[in-house]
Amino acid sequence: MLHLFRTEWLKIKNYPGFWWIMAITVLSYPGINGMFYTIYKQQTANTKSAAQMLKMLIGNPFEFPEVFRTTAFASSMFVIIPAILVIMLITNEYTYKTNRQNVIDGWSRNEFLIAKFLNVVIISVIVIALYLLVTLSIGFSTTGADVKNKFQLANYTALFSLQTFAQLSFAFLLGLLIKRAFIALGVFIFYKIIVENIAAELLNKYVHADTGRFLPTESSDMLTPVPAFLGRLDPKVYDHALGLINQQVFITIGYLFIFWGLVFWIYKKRDL
Amino acid sequence: MSVLQVQDLKKTYGKIQALKGVSFEIPKGAVFGILGPNGSGKTTMLSIILDVLNADSGTYSWFGKPASPDLRKHIGSLLETPNFYHYLSAKNNLKITNSISGRGDKAAIDSVLQKVKLYERRNSRFSTYSLGMKQRLAIAAALLGDPQILVLDEPTNGLDPVGIMEIRELIIDLSKKGHTIIMASHLLDEVEKVCTHVAILKLGTLVTSGSVEDVLVDEDVVEIGAADIEQLKRALSNYPGITSTTHNAQTMQLHFPKGTASAEEVNRYCFNQGIALQYLAIKKKRLEEKFFELTGN
Repeated sequence: MLHLFRTEWLKIKNYPGFWWIMAITVLSYPGINGMFYTIYKQQTANTKSAAQMLKMLIGNPFEFPEVFRTTAFASSMFVIIPAILVIMLITNEYTYKTNRQNVIDGWSRNEFLIAKFLNVVIISVIVIALYLLVTLSIGFSTTGADVKNKFQLANYTALFSLQTFAQLSFAFLLGLLIKRAFIALGVFIFYKIIVENIAAELLNKYVHADTGRFLPTESSDMLTPVPAFLGRLDPKVYDHALGLINQQVFITIGYLFIFWGLVFWIYKKRDL
Repeated sequence: MSVLQVQDLKKTYGKIQALKGVSFEIPKGAVFGILGPNGSGKTTMLSIILDVLNADSGTYSWFGKPASPDLRKHIGSLLETPNFYHYLSAKNNLKITNSISGRGDKAAIDSVLQKVKLYERRNSRFSTYSLGMKQRLAIAAALLGDPQILVLDEPTNGLDPVGIMEIRELIIDLSKKGHTIIMASHLLDEVEKVCTHVAILKLGTLVTSGSVEDVLVDEDVVEIGAADIEQLKRALSNYPGITSTTHNAQTMQLHFPKGTASAEEVNRYCFNQGIALQYLAIKKKRLEEKFFELTGN
């Protein structure tokens, strides 16, 4: 396992493209959450009655424990950035035909994929670390000492981790299938943002009200619901969504097995 | 002992049958040339024995053992095109080859880069290399750690005449040291100069294989010349043991079954017939001639 990691490190260590996207990833998570927090602070800092009413209505989504849910939701919208990294790392191998050279030089096909699996795990860990860093920074800077149960919603770290890993795994599968970086990324974005949302709506409307949540990325999207203040717009729907999270965990894990099962099966059968 | 045994390999791409049951063996220490026109299945076969293509049926084994990644680590290979990370330097690309295969070390990387004359450019990115330099790097990767077996698919692609000569000398040198080299090439002259064994493929079928001597020599040809070529033709039309004769303006060729020609007897026969030969030679068929004959080109 260590030699796989070492070889992957040799591949990316001197790859400027990788480090540029990594820098964007590292900046984007604190950036977007910080932006939301700044907007919230600016809007509620106003002493006018409308601003104070807004504060009263939505509470402080950036205080512990709610901050875990708020930043998980906001961060989950930016999975496309680390997905670029994941897609790039697999499609590069096809572009340069180095995937076949790695096998010629003595890796088994499974070893090649385990090395890539490690890449996806490491990128997920970096994203999760960023999430935790942002969440704890914002949480500790906004929460008063009197707040108890600060870590009551810390389980959202695990939910966000699962969601990130599942969606990056899906991006990897697309990269492996499509082999071309821009096309794979385009398909990922188009599928995730447009196709699946439309499909979920249609399924919910014409098949069964709850069918959309079984779709490949919708299943993990539902692990990080909107912050509680947005849930107040329709408490019944929100409570239902919160109640489904445990089921979504199992569905997402199921999809993870399907994604990686397909990856290993396709690569074994495919000519390189 | 056979280094590689290939048994009835078959491979199709859709409706195209790229390999139609190819079998052969490669003895240890051989320089084994695989020849064939474009689309004959050379690269497909090399790709199968290096596990980048899955055969539809048939088997192959290295040293009598089923193929495995560990066995492949001890084979230096160049398949089709040089495959490297474009953004990395030659040195960093070879570090990856070393990390995967376990062949060589830091010193060996410098040594192979010197051998293929890329040492001065070792820190330049692969993407800045010319076609010939890329090919040299691929040869360096194959040579890393001095593997006992080399699989080289068109190793002289993109090289200048000096580069081609250097590779030829390198292969001869490695062969002398006991390495086994499996080489696919279009350059028949090169193959004839360096190979001890040869296999010829045509449209996925093995037309012939064996030692170069056995493949090339399927008959004896004695070529003779005299002042009066017409007199020569008349005198030798009934020469015992010949299978056929051919001629041109200056010389005549007598074709005998393999191993039966004697230049001395032909000379004596002509002398007794009152003809003084100006020219007498036993001709060997050239690989190029044999290749065109077998592949029908």
